[in-house]
Order: sequence, then C-alpha cells, then structure tokens
Amino acid sequence: MSSLETINWINEQFKNTNELVQKNLEYENKHILLFYIKSLINSEMLQKLIIKPFFEMSSEEQFNLYLQALPQFQEVQSKEQVHLEIMNGNILIVIQNEFYLLDFKLAKNDKVNSTSVETTIHGSQLALSDNLMTNINVIRSNYHQASLSVEYFVKGEVNQHKVAVIYDKEKVKNDVLDIIRKRLQKVDKQLITSTTQLGNLINDSRFSLFPQMIMTERPDRIVYNLAGGKVILLVDGNPQSIATPVVFFDFMTTMEDNYHTLFISLFLKILRYAGLFLSLLLPALYVGVTSFTPELFRTELALTVAGSRVGVPFSSFIEVLFMLFFMELLLEASIRLPKAVSATATTVGGLILGTAVTEASLASNIMVIIVSAVAISTFVIPVNEMAFSIRVVRLLLIIITSVFGLAGLVLGFFVLIMYLVNLDSFGETYLKIYTLSKNRKTTEEKT
Amino acid sequence: MSRYYYYLILINMVANVIASVPAILLHNHKNGSVSAMILAVVAGTILITIYTRFFIAFPGITLPDLLKKTTSKWFYNPFIFFLALMWFVAGLITLATFSFLLIRFLTPEMPLFQISLIIILSVIFGCLMRTERVLYTIELILLIVFPLILYIFFKAYSNESLEWDFVKEAALYVNQFPNIHSFSSCFFLFLGVVNLFIFNRFFTKKQNFNWKHITLIGFISTLNLFTTYFIPIGFNGFENIDELVYPWITTSDSLRMEFFMIERLLFVFLLFYLGIAFLSILIHWHVSFEFLKFVFNLEKIKFKGFKIGKYIPIPFFIGASLLLIGKLNEYQLLRYSNFFYDTLILFFPLLIILFIFIKRRMKYAKQEKQN
Repeated sequence: MSSLETINWINEQFKNTNELVQKNLEYENKHILLFYIKSLINSEMLQKLIIKPFFEMSSEEQFNLYLQALPQFQEVQSKEQVHLEIMNGNILIVIQNEFYLLDFKLAKNDKVNSTSVETTIHGSQLALSDNLMTNINVIRSNYHQASLSVEYFVKGEVNQHKVAVIYDKEKVKNDVLDIIRKRLQKVDKQLITSTTQLGNLINDSRFSLFPQMIMTERPDRIVYNLAGGKVILLVDGNPQSIATPVVFFDFMTTMEDNYHTLFISLFLKILRYAGLFLSLLLPALYVGVTSFTPELFRTELALTVAGSRVGVPFSSFIEVLFMLFFMELLLEASIRLPKAVSATATTVGGLILGTAVTEASLASNIMVIIVSAVAISTFVIPVNEMAFSIRVVRLLLIIITSVFGLAGLVLGFFVLIMYLVNLDSFGETYLKIYTLSKNRKTTEEKT
Repeated sequence: MSRYYYYLILINMVANVIASVPAILLHNHKNGSVSAMILAVVAGTILITIYTRFFIAFPGITLPDLLKKTTSKWFYNPFIFFLALMWFVAGLITLATFSFLLIRFLTPEMPLFQISLIIILSVIFGCLMRTERVLYTIELILLIVFPLILYIFFKAYSNESLEWDFVKEAALYVNQFPNIHSFSSCFFLFLGVVNLFIFNRFFTKKQNFNWKHITLIGFISTLNLFTTYFIPIGFNGFENIDELVYPWITTSDSLRMEFFMIERLLFVFLLFYLGIAFLSILIHWHVSFEFLKFVFNLEKIKFKGFKIGKYIPIPFFIGASLLLIGKLNEYQLLRYSNFFYDTLILFFPLLIILFIFIKRRMKYAKQEKQN
C-alpha cells in the first residue's frame, strides 16, 4: 500500500473527529509522521520514547531500528487494523514509507479494586480492576501455567469492547470452548457494557430462572475455576468476570470454604444450606400450615400461631405477600440509595414498619419474625445471582402453596429440583450428585 | 451394579408400602399371607436376576430397540402400545391412591380434582425429561426423603407400643397355603426391575451382577416386606387388622415425636411418602411416554417447524387420569389394583420366553455380521 494513499484514507476515516493529531517531525534529514488521538495516549511516554530519541539519533536508519526494538512495537497488517488500533490508543508512525503502530495507551482505570460483592474474612481482599490488561496481568500472576491461553474478541458494534476468553488449555473441555466461541460469534448487540450482559447474550436460555454462569470479582476464585477447567470471560472496562460451565453447587461455595479447617467449613456449609431451605420454604410453609393444615404442628405451637393471628383481617396468603413485598422493596431501595441515606431506610422500613404493622394488626408477630428470618437467610447464599433467583422461586412456591396446600409445597419443591436437574450450563448438567471416581471430569468446582 | 439400578428397584418396593399392597396382605392375614410373602421373595428375586442378566447382555439398548431388530411390525407395535398402557395404569394406581390419601388425611376440604391435578402436573413435566435426568432427579429426591423414611422405621421399631406378641401370632399363620392375591401384590414390589425396559438406555457400560448383588436385593426386600406386614400388626393387634383401609397411616399416626415442632409422625410420613409416590409415578409414566414415542414415532411429528410430537400424549394422560380418578372410589381402586397385580404375575414371567427369543435372534444377527 502506498503511504500517501493510506494517509489520506486515515484522514478520511477520522474526519468527523477533531481529536486526531497529525504531527510532522523533521530534523537533520530525518522525517517521521505521527498520528494519534490525544486523549488516549500517554504523552509522557511519547515524549520520552519517541520524540526525544528522534532528536538525538544520528540517522533515520538508526531510529527505524530503534522503533522496531521497542516493546510496544506492532507490525501493520491492514488499513482496518490501523483504524482500530488508533482508536485503542496506539500511535501510528510513518517512516520511510513504512507504517508502525506503537501501543502507548493511557489507562486511568487500572487500579485494582478491593472486594465489594464477595467479601471474605480470610484470603485476599483485592479484586479485579476495570482494565482488561491489568485483569489478565492479575490472573496470570496468580496462575503460573504455560497452558493458560487468552483469546480476544471484539464485541459490541458501536462501542467495540474487547472481550477476553481465558482458559487452561490442558484442562478445559473442548466442546464447551466451541460452544462459547460459536455463541460469541452470534452476538450482534450494539452496546456491550458489562460482563454479565455478555453472559446473558451467550446463554441460549433467556427465560431461565437460574444463572448459568457464575459472576466473580475475586482473583482467587478465578484461578480456582481455571484450575477446575472452567472458561473465564472478561470484558474491558468491567471489574467482574464470569465463569462457565457451572453447576448448582458452585453457587453455594465461597472461597473461604478452602481457607477454614474442615469442621468449620462443614458447619458453615450446613448453615448455608439451612439458610437456602429456610428462605425458600418458610413463607410457603407458613401459608400452608395456617390456611390448610393447622394440625401439622404440635398443639401448643399451633395455638401460638393462631393466637398471634387474632385480629389480622387477611388470609395468610395476603399477609405473607404483603410483608414480603415490603421486604423486597426495602432490599431494592437499600441497593439504589446513596450510602448516607440507606441507614435511614432500613430503620424506617425494618424497625418502625415492623412494629407498626403488628400493632395495627395488619400482620401477625410471627409473620414479622418469618419475614426477617427469610431476609437474613437470603443473605447467607454466597453468590448474589443465586439469591436473586431464590427470591423469585420463593414467590412461585407461595403461590402454589396457597392454591394447593402443603402437598403443593412439597410437590413444588420437587419440581424445582427437577427443573434444576433438567437445566444445562454449556453442556453440563446443572444439578446432580457428583461422586468421586477415577476418571472424574474436572469441570466441576465442587470437590 | 450402578447405584441408579438399585433406585429403580428400591422405589417400587418402598412406594407400595403406602399403596394397596399392605391392605391386600393384611386382608388375607389368616389365609396365607405370610407364606405368600416368603414365596414372593424367592420368586421376585429370581425374576430380578433373570431380567437383570438379560439386560446386562445388551448394555444401553432399550427393549423396544431390541424388539425392533428382532420382531416383525405386527407384533412390535401393538405389544409396545400394550406395555405403554400397562405402565400408565401402574402410575395411575399410585396416583389415585395418593390423591385419596391426601384428601383423607392432609387437606380434606380440597376437591379431589384439584389434588390429583397438582400431582399430575408436577409429574408430567418430568416425564418429558431425558432418561438420565430422570435418574438424577430420583437420586436427589431420594437423598432428601430417604433419611426421614428410615427415621420413621426406626421410630416404629423402637416404640414401646409395638407388641411383638401380635407379630409372633401373625407369623404362626405361615402354615397356610399361599394366597394368590397376597402373592401377586408382594410380587409387584419386585417389579421395579422391569423399568429397565427403558432405563437400560442409561446403563451403557457393562455391569457385573453376581450373587452379592442378589443377596443384597433379597435382604432389602425381605426387610421391607417384613416391615410392611408385621409393623401394622404389632401396633394394631392381629384380630380385625383386615378392617383397616390404610394400615400404614393408622400405624404412623400412633407414633409421636415428643419434643419436635411437629408432634404427629403421620404428617412427616405423608409428606415424605409423597416424594416416593412422586418418583414412582415419574418412573412409570416416563417409561410409558418413551414407549409411546417408539410406537407412534412421536419425535418426527412437526407443526410449523416445531417438534411437538413428544407433547402429544400429555393431554391424554391428564384427561384419562382425571377422568378415571373422578369415577373411582377407594373400594374399587383396591379391587382393580388387586386385579392388575394378579395379571402381572402371569405376564412378566411369560415375557422371559420373549427374552429367550430375542437373545437367540440377536446371537444369529451377530454371527451373520461376523460372517
């Protein structure tokens, strides 16, 4: 390609922006042409690595060799690549009719955040950053294996974000990788702004209640998943990664399980599963017992429940939905509110509303206890996405129970299990009992 | 053997503790139930051994596949359709029994229609699943339900009101000539193995099955039968035990958990046996669905590009079972299921002749291939 033609082409491409800088340097029969977008590049590095040597070197030959020796150096393949790389913070240098690209990208978002979603007491407190390259650096420096591979894709027609697919070549299942590649090709969204959004796009089942990829911000979890043969997806500008394929038990483990001693982590696990069952079944059980089968409980307890419902004008179904509705509102509100105000919201919602509701006998005391127990036990579920799913399933169970009674609750629970077993996550059965065997597949995280 | 194989046998055994089997047994308590039980354990174990041996020889191949290869169409289609009907009825018996039970003991105000509808709807969804997923579901639900059932058995055996004298008295009737109805209902407990007709698809690896496994199955079945028959007698006495419609419900209602939130064990029993019944219906109807797929080539039926074939039996299943449950009463159900069990003791041993036939044909086919 002739240089003049290409330069004209580039100018044509960037004519709608006034940010492209074209710099002509001439000194002692040396001559170079620089193109870059000012706001994207590190001008300090430009000054130190390009401009200063340019005026110091004796010949154009020498400068040419010097440029090629720089670590940021990149060969030019095509015009389109030039266009894309300039947009990505590269500098285009034209010297002796040759085109060179140098990566001088200035990234202000490469600070590593501290964990905010998956907080633990033990283990690293550092999470990922917003910058893709920093993230890959973090992962690589935690996982020293030559077989760790990274594939890059560019997704989002408008914003052209970089997507990285990371996996351990020796451990990953190839058919999973093929599915992910195939589905990534199919993604034709205009804007991709977050990893979880990308995750939703490459999941085929849009109407699934349960997450089919696990979102994590912890490098140790990423490394753990990589070693388990999972595929990690990262999107530039996003401090979260997603891992796939997942099984249900992945959502019930925290990284801390490995950091505690056996009995402590067993205790915590039992606590967590108890929380899961409580938050799923307790409200529906209340409806079933009070409205359909009060004789289920021992007489004293049945009388206590009935006694606390004296004066409540609603059926238990409405009572539960009414209280749960306010609890869900409170949860949503405390996420959206500014930090300074959110304490007030919890006080008003939890304390004042809770007591006022029972005093006005719109709900029984036991109902308030149940709702708060349910709210607390929902927080015990370690992965946020699963907690969201459980909140929805809980409502469905309440509805089934209020139509069909306790038998409905039990059968509904079995159907839930059946649904989970029937789900697929990238070719992997979502829920089943894994047993240790010699030729065990490595894809599951659970050991 | 793979552990999933035992689930198939176990569920059929345990599920019938609550159904009409103990009622039939106790009804004939003076006319040879005990000897029939002993006979059934022997006959049932032999049947299980033969059936398992046969299917081990063809890993991963279902019975319809085998029949397709070895028999002609005029036999194959009606026969598979007949099998589908039979499995449907087997599921229906459990369904009807449990619907009546729930009405009697859990939610008496609810219409029968509504209670049977919820069971049907929850099961139907599972019938469409792939075979291996059905087995995974069975394993998970068993894992939840089974410890509680063992707890109930433990409670029953450790209870002070269990009078062993009654049990001994009942055992004395062993010298009676075996009763045919008692034998057939006991024999039905062992028929979990025939679900291999379809579930053999899952067992693709060559399994080994030797006397150890046979002893284990024989031991479990004896224990199960013993508990089914003698525990109600131990609690309720020997005379007039035949008057009880649901002997096990009455028995479990005489058990208490003194210090727990739920005092009457009856509810634990009911709700967790609901799980076993659910699995039993799921297995039977799944097999029935698969048979229908073979008969009518349901996978190939398309409507506007969607494969709707496998959904076609659903309305028939729902409609037929709701209609039949609406018409039946408990007495008729007991009589008809007794009749159903009676036919099975002829049918399944006769099938062994068919197996010999299939085996020989397959052998020839193999030899021809080699030549």
